[in-house]
Amino acid sequence: MSEELLRIDDLHVAFSTRRGVVEAVRGVTLTVGAGEMLGLVGESGSGKSVTGFATTRLLDAAGRVTGGKILFRGQDVTKLRGDDLRHLQGAAMSMIFQNPRAALNPIRAIGLQIADAILTHKRISKDAARAEALDLLRAVQIRDPEARMNAYPHELSGGMCQRVMIAIAISCNPALLIADEPTTGLDVTTQKVVMDLLADIAAARGMATILITHDLGLAARYCRRIAVMERGRIVEEASPKILFNAPQHAYTRRLVAASPTATSRIEDLVTEEERERYATVVSKPRQEPAHGTPPLLEVRKLAKRFDQGSAAVADFSMTMAGGESVGLVGESGSGKSTTSRMICRLIDPSEGDIVFDGQSIGHVASRDFHRSRFRKDIQMVFQDPNESLNPRYSAFDCIAHPLMRLDGQRAGDALRKRVEECAERVGLPLDLLPRFPHQLSGGQKARVGIARAIACRPRLLVLDEPTAALDVSVQAVVLQLLDRLRRENDIALLFVSHDLNVVRMLCDRTIVLRNGGIVEQGESRALFDNPKTDYTRKLVEAIPHIETGEVLAAAL
Amino acid sequence: MLSYILRRIVATLPVMAIVALFVFSLLYIAPGDPAVVIAGDQASPEDVERIRQSLGLDRPFLVQFGSWVWRILHGDLGTSIFTNLPVSAMIGQRLGPTLSLMIVTLLLTIVVAVPLGVVAAWKAGSLIDRVIMGFAVFGFSLPVFVVGYMLAYIFALELEWLPVQGYTPLTQGFWPWLENLILPAIALGCVYIALVARITRAAMLEVLQQDYIRTAKAKGLGQGGILFIHALKNAAVPIVTVIGIGIALLIGGAVVTESVFAIPGLGRLTIDAILRRDYPVIQGIVLLFSFVYVLVNLMIDVTYTLVDPRIRY
Repeated sequence: MSEELLRIDDLHVAFSTRRGVVEAVRGVTLTVGAGEMLGLVGESGSGKSVTGFATTRLLDAAGRVTGGKILFRGQDVTKLRGDDLRHLQGAAMSMIFQNPRAALNPIRAIGLQIADAILTHKRISKDAARAEALDLLRAVQIRDPEARMNAYPHELSGGMCQRVMIAIAISCNPALLIADEPTTGLDVTTQKVVMDLLADIAAARGMATILITHDLGLAARYCRRIAVMERGRIVEEASPKILFNAPQHAYTRRLVAASPTATSRIEDLVTEEERERYATVVSKPRQEPAHGTPPLLEVRKLAKRFDQGSAAVADFSMTMAGGESVGLVGESGSGKSTTSRMICRLIDPSEGDIVFDGQSIGHVASRDFHRSRFRKDIQMVFQDPNESLNPRYSAFDCIAHPLMRLDGQRAGDALRKRVEECAERVGLPLDLLPRFPHQLSGGQKARVGIARAIACRPRLLVLDEPTAALDVSVQAVVLQLLDRLRRENDIALLFVSHDLNVVRMLCDRTIVLRNGGIVEQGESRALFDNPKTDYTRKLVEAIPHIETGEVLAAAL
Repeated sequence: MLSYILRRIVATLPVMAIVALFVFSLLYIAPGDPAVVIAGDQASPEDVERIRQSLGLDRPFLVQFGSWVWRILHGDLGTSIFTNLPVSAMIGQRLGPTLSLMIVTLLLTIVVAVPLGVVAAWKAGSLIDRVIMGFAVFGFSLPVFVVGYMLAYIFALELEWLPVQGYTPLTQGFWPWLENLILPAIALGCVYIALVARITRAAMLEVLQQDYIRTAKAKGLGQGGILFIHALKNAAVPIVTVIGIGIALLIGGAVVTESVFAIPGLGRLTIDAILRRDYPVIQGIVLLFSFVYVLVNLMIDVTYTLVDPRIRY
């Protein structure tokens, strides 16, 4: 390894919470060489971000380094005060964050935000800082940089915002950049562009980088060395190749298994014990609908135009049979969410028709659709389980509410029984039902969302990125759950996602959208293995691949 | 932007019309014959009849309303029954003191309350925060007249730093003008300062948790830059809203404050007019206050667009 830049030695970080002191990091030791890119991988709560924040001294007020050292160029950053600390932050070490749009001040022009960083650390005039900011926008390859200087974050796409963040982070040529989930929430092609840019800049400037991510594939693609964290400790540290082909620690093995790859099947994500129970369901042949049965859903030439500008969706047609699963993929802005919302009848199509179970429902105004008898047949699972649940509703209320509204059930034993049935169906422990969303984990909230959606026994579930905010191991469980619901309850799934590996596993057929129109569609595996259009090929290639070999299969 | 302001002004017309109708109906909502009410207890039937004639109360309601609106549109608010002076002239005389009091109070509030709220949010949970919020509760709970008399007693009677009562127009010098307004402004501003400080603190606390504040820290920005450049402007929308709503509070408070400090403003004119059942004056004042309030609301909405580029009309 090259010259050592950062050495974290037996780091302990604790948070004081209402329920007492929680140890988030419990003895992390790692080193980063100058110019090296290190991957720090783990699931939420593993302490990977806390390690990053402790290093850049950005811990919340409640968090405290309780032990160990963080030596940056031989100096312990945990002891820095005042001007020394400010020289460290932004100048010697900088950080970029998850959710770039939230990380930028919404009411300050981006040029000023970059200049802020420069002016803090360099004694130069405002005009000179502005000129440097413009150069940085060029360096991060933002088109039309002069005009963008005066843009506000809400006028830029997520990928653009992350480029601006990178520009801010590199503005003072730091020796170390800590990237905390820099591409989570961006679609695959944007992710690739942003990560390539970051890697190029880091290489060109000899900047060391710590890439904090939950995505093993992403870390494997960009880092020579990966450290895996679990519950505040580093459990394994190795090159990607060794990590994937011969993971030593049990946790790494589980993580590697749960990460969907180009070849994995949904049953691969299950651990040994669960697999047998699952196998009986999978092996049960699905009833083919009798010939001549009308499709469950038929969409004809659907189009949506918003107030001004071109069509968000145009000429979209598809059919779905009962119990079928169809994936809807595309980059952000491709119109996949708009399409799914029209089918759910949450927004009104501008043109075209939606036929559900032989009845035209496209012309029922979306604000009246809650009175339609089909409302309970078409239900939706939303992207962010944190934000799509009412914080004042307990899990029980969330699941019971649609039953009362749509099924006309009254509060009582029957309702309680049905809610408990749904909770059991999605694997939600019954003692969690009285809890409120903030008392539940991400996976539990996702289950509440699914239980709510299936409460009225729908025939079509529309899922908008239901696992995007979840850890891979939780995602694996949720995907299995959805697959089981489809097989056992014959619920058709319309699955909107930018994660092609997941779509490939879960969906029989896939529709690729671009700029509001269908680019390609077909049987999922065939479509991804042999994409017919360049666009689909680009999407497929952008997925970070994990090289799996026979060794891995043996390890499982 | 300009077209938005024009549209908003047009949209206020129906509001003003409803207010006008309500204000005009005041006379009729009050129980009894308006002419008898105005004439008072000792009036003879001839007096009542004369008042009825002179006010045109013998005509149908809608005709009266129509001619009243017509006169207002021409800038004529009518004539006081008690002093026989034009209402607009009476209001014009009293406008200066009240406007002075409100502006001084408003400035005092902003200068004191916003920094207090920012500091309280920055040091949330600390002793400083608790002391500031303790004062805020205190400010909420004390009625204007209690604070007013206390201030007058301490600073005017005992310490003799400031005049006890009265008002000097701005035309006679800045300091004499301000000197008379300091105590009333503090008395009137107490509740207002408490309110704005609390809202500022709450809005700042919310903003300080945002990701972009963390970004600002990561850039190495100093505490002042983070608080005032990045945080305060983002917290401005609720603060501006409450300051605007508070102007209504000020109007109400001014009535009491002016009585305590013997300021010859609109507040005292209102009280006098109500006691004398001087309906044209009451109508004029209520109309003016509602107009000011509608205008303030428009100003708040325009301020939003200046503060936040995401708000477009």
